[in-house]
Amino acid sequence: MSIIRTENLCKNFGELHVLKGVNLTVEKGEVVVIIGASGGGKSTFLRSLNNLETITAGSIYFEDKLFVRAENGKVLEEMPKKEKKEALLKMGMVFQRFNLFPNMTVKDNVMSAPVHVKKIPKAQAEETAMELLKRVGLADKADEYPSRLSGGQQQRVAIARSLAMSPDIMLFDEPTSALDPELVGEVLNVMKGLAKDGMTMICVTHEMGFAREVADKVVFMGEGKILEEGAPDEIFNHPKTKQAQQFLGSIL
Amino acid sequence: MQKVLLWIPQLLGGARNTIIITIISVGIGIVLSLFLALGKMSKHKLISKPCSAYIFFFRGTPLLMQIYFIYYGLPQINPALTIKSAFNAALLAFTLNTAAYLAEDIRAGVQSIDAGQFEAARTLGMSYWQMMRLVIIPQTIRRVIPPVGNEFIMALKDVSLVSIIGLSDLTKVTRQISSSQATAMVYIPAMIIYLIITAVFTAIFRQVEKKNSAY
Ligand SMILES: Nc1ncnc2c1ncn2[C@@H]1O[C@H](COP(=O)(O)OP(=O)(O)O)[C@@H](O)[C@H]1O
Ligand SMILES: [Mg+2]
Repeated sequence: MSIIRTENLCKNFGELHVLKGVNLTVEKGEVVVIIGASGGGKSTFLRSLNNLETITAGSIYFEDKLFVRAENGKVLEEMPKKEKKEALLKMGMVFQRFNLFPNMTVKDNVMSAPVHVKKIPKAQAEETAMELLKRVGLADKADEYPSRLSGGQQQRVAIARSLAMSPDIMLFDEPTSALDPELVGEVLNVMKGLAKDGMTMICVTHEMGFAREVADKVVFMGEGKILEEGAPDEIFNHPKTKQAQQFLGSIL
Repeated sequence: MQKVLLWIPQLLGGARNTIIITIISVGIGIVLSLFLALGKMSKHKLISKPCSAYIFFFRGTPLLMQIYFIYYGLPQINPALTIKSAFNAALLAFTLNTAAYLAEDIRAGVQSIDAGQFEAARTLGMSYWQMMRLVIIPQTIRRVIPPVGNEFIMALKDVSLVSIIGLSDLTKVTRQISSSQATAMVYIPAMIIYLIITAVFTAIFRQVEKKNSAY
């Protein structure tokens, strides 16, 4: 079963055509890494999947059910509201700039959505939050405010916060690119752990080591489309398109 | 000197009215302003337009006229709208006026919050009100304490305008003493009382600000 499938996904911002027909299928348990030049629409693609952007045309299927279909900027078909909400809850998202809630402690960041959105009893949510914080190695920071944490620690909390909603798929938008180089490893390790535990993931990242180690598929985006996709070795060692060759040449 | 001591109880009585009107109107005004601010930012025109118009009106016309109109004008439109006591009329005018100013402070506060906060809340499945209550408003409060403090101090002095509809606030009492005893010296203790009130409330707001900077 595919968790996410897009067909001819297009997104315009006014006159700017950012996505021009993206077709991507992500199977359950798959780890997909998206690479591509800055401004190529990688964030826009993830945000479209997560309903943070309204698509201009094309369709998105979630667990083989139509999530949304649009044409010429108009939504033609959409999942019923309640189902849509549930589908969105199954998608976790981790942002480049963490976006932790500064007014809450680390633990409250992790447990607030389970308690208020999922109506999980507080004690149980707290227990889960502590387990997740342990998993990302931050149990001892549970009562701190995010501003007291390093970037790498904040991003690990953000991952725990997302996991607390028990997502079926996690979207990562350049989770390590706002971090100092020495803090990248700790975040990647958490992500590798998730991948090895079978989490379905779409990661926009240029961390080649990470991609080689855990990616099932690497997707190269350019000109608003998927220009190339395949196994990590295939893409990294033998890129076929000029654009991919150029891009890989520039970052390696 | 002896005279000053005689004035003090009267002046303090006026100061009491000044403080009560300010606290009540800013207090109710804050609640009202929160809805006005959120309303003005609403995507629905049916909500945002009336809120914008309200704020535009109360910030765009003199408070003095608003007070006059509420006290003398409303009964002429419809006798049922008569507000008997000057105190209540002043309170109403002040509350409505302060709410408009506070709403703009709150709106600026909400808009200064990073878009990523709204997105993270949405991605976690929070409804609009959950997002506001748990994430946005707590962060906004911290940012709007200083401007709200300013608004409060301004209101404290603007209350002197209510003397035109006969309410005995600190300014009115001072003027009465001044004319009945033919001395302008009473302005000195009166201004000192204003300064003390301002200093006390400035200190209170600073304390609240400190309490809210746990993070
Ligand atoms: N909300 C928006 N309004 C207008 N243009 C946008 C918006 N979001 C992104 N863009 C534009 O879309 C293009 C793709 O951006 P983005 O998806 O962030 O690329 P990437 O993540 O690959 O760097 C850029 O040119 C960017 O300026
Ligand atoms: Mg991006």
